[in-house]
Amino acid sequence: MISNMGFLAFLRRDLRLINRRRGEVASPLIFFLMAATFVPLGITPDAELLKNIAPGIIWVMALLATLLSADSLFASDYHDGSLEQMLISPQLLVMPVLGKVTAHWLTTGLPLTLVSPLLGLLLSLPTAGYLPMMAGLAVGTGCLSLLAALGAALTVSLQKGSLLLTLIVMPLYMPIIIFGSATAQYSIEGLAWSGPLAILGAMLAVAIALCPLAIVSVLRLTTIN
Amino acid sequence: MNWNWNWFYRMGSPRWFYESTSRWLPWLGALTVLLLASGLVWGLAFAPQDAKQGNSFRIIYLHVPASFLALAGYFLMAAAGAIGLIWKMKLSYMVMKCAAPLGAVLTFLALFTGAVWGKPTWGSYWVWDARVTSMLILLFLYMGVLALQYAFDSKDVANKASAILALVGTVNIPIIYKSVDWWFTLHQPATISFTEAPSMHPDMFQPLLVMILGFYCFYAVALILSVRVEILSRERKTSWVRGLVKQATNKNLGAE
Amino acid sequence: MNFQFDNVSGMLHMAGHGIYVWTAVLVTLALIAWLIINPLLQRRHVIEEIAQDVAREQLRQNASREIV
Repeated sequence: MISNMGFLAFLRRDLRLINRRRGEVASPLIFFLMAATFVPLGITPDAELLKNIAPGIIWVMALLATLLSADSLFASDYHDGSLEQMLISPQLLVMPVLGKVTAHWLTTGLPLTLVSPLLGLLLSLPTAGYLPMMAGLAVGTGCLSLLAALGAALTVSLQKGSLLLTLIVMPLYMPIIIFGSATAQYSIEGLAWSGPLAILGAMLAVAIALCPLAIVSVLRLTTIN
Repeated sequence: MNWNWNWFYRMGSPRWFYESTSRWLPWLGALTVLLLASGLVWGLAFAPQDAKQGNSFRIIYLHVPASFLALAGYFLMAAAGAIGLIWKMKLSYMVMKCAAPLGAVLTFLALFTGAVWGKPTWGSYWVWDARVTSMLILLFLYMGVLALQYAFDSKDVANKASAILALVGTVNIPIIYKSVDWWFTLHQPATISFTEAPSMHPDMFQPLLVMILGFYCFYAVALILSVRVEILSRERKTSWVRGLVKQATNKNLGAE
Repeated sequence: MNFQFDNVSGMLHMAGHGIYVWTAVLVTLALIAWLIINPLLQRRHVIEEIAQDVAREQLRQNASREIV
């Protein structure tokens, strides 16, 4: 059996920990749904207009919801010292970090993806857009989680870290939102939506390869000092 | 043949940097003033106006150099951070720290001149053109590095964290630029890209070259001045800085 | 290469675009000047600070010498 080098162990650990604070996990989801109500209230309930901006709105909300929950990735481990213990242990940390981020995605990105058809309904998303929207969100929120983890690692030791985290990570999110929204848009306009989705997939592949390495070196830097 | 690395390590000495720049910085400053003044006068008064845009086209002599330097400055900042991370050179970190606000102001300048250019040309101050949007994201990247630099108590952690963030941003810049380019063609098929004018008439291109050179020299002067102040501040306990301060205060007292 | 305008006021007016061009020029020059002047001012400030530090240390040394 090929060793997963701690990936599963930390995935299970984090899922178990998150399970103990289920209420916390629900809040990004509730934010996601409530914000969808704000849009027609604030802009227009006109279905014709809404359906043009629906994919973009859903993506922006998904982005904000991910950023909301990003803080909790390393915060509790940092405060009770278990992060430091992880870092001074002799094992390679790339896979454990990936396990933690996957747990985060399973509890933020994936629920967002599954709930997005409901938002599509509220925002008059055309029928052609539902499946591409979900596909794009499933892949894109993976990227969002990885980049959010990088931001969380940089700001874990700071007092008011969450706002700084948002500032750092937002510019890096721009390409993801461009291609994510385009996936749904392309399908609505009748074009092949596999193109933008493939680019999202490529971004996810690069992120999976590079982010954990960066996250580990940043954690070593900000935690053990 | 042995390659002697002494020159490289000597370059990392703040004192060497301070003392050698003291010698030639005034000359570089004079060159900057010369280039900027002549380029500006040439561009504003002597270059022909554009057939379509008229005289507002002259803002190109400010906007394009500022944009070049804004982008080049980010790469310089990231490179300085990388050198600091790899060779643990204090001076390199100081350069990175000083390049951040300088680059951010230049990015703002590029955006401002672009907006002022846009009003008479396209009718509004802000257009979501590919270049402008990319420049705005660059500004946000700069602000992130700046914010991170000042967030930590420990200078060592602040330097390394900012360096890592700058490098992450560098990897992302081509992706961001290409994405925004693609996004823009998706939404607005036919536009004039007003920062790209490769087929410019030489009469218009030459003053632009002078201004670009002038801006590069200005950037070097401004950066070196900031780094010198940073060196004085960080090395204040050393004897050579103390000696310098004594000289400076004696000169002031003598002048009185 | 010839002067593009009829006279100086023509250059200021720039066929209606004058306010835009000159605003851009003035803001650019102001920011460039500030980016050069600011480090120079800070340098003077840092030198004063260090001089004060040195003076304070001298006083402390003299004071401790007297006590002994």
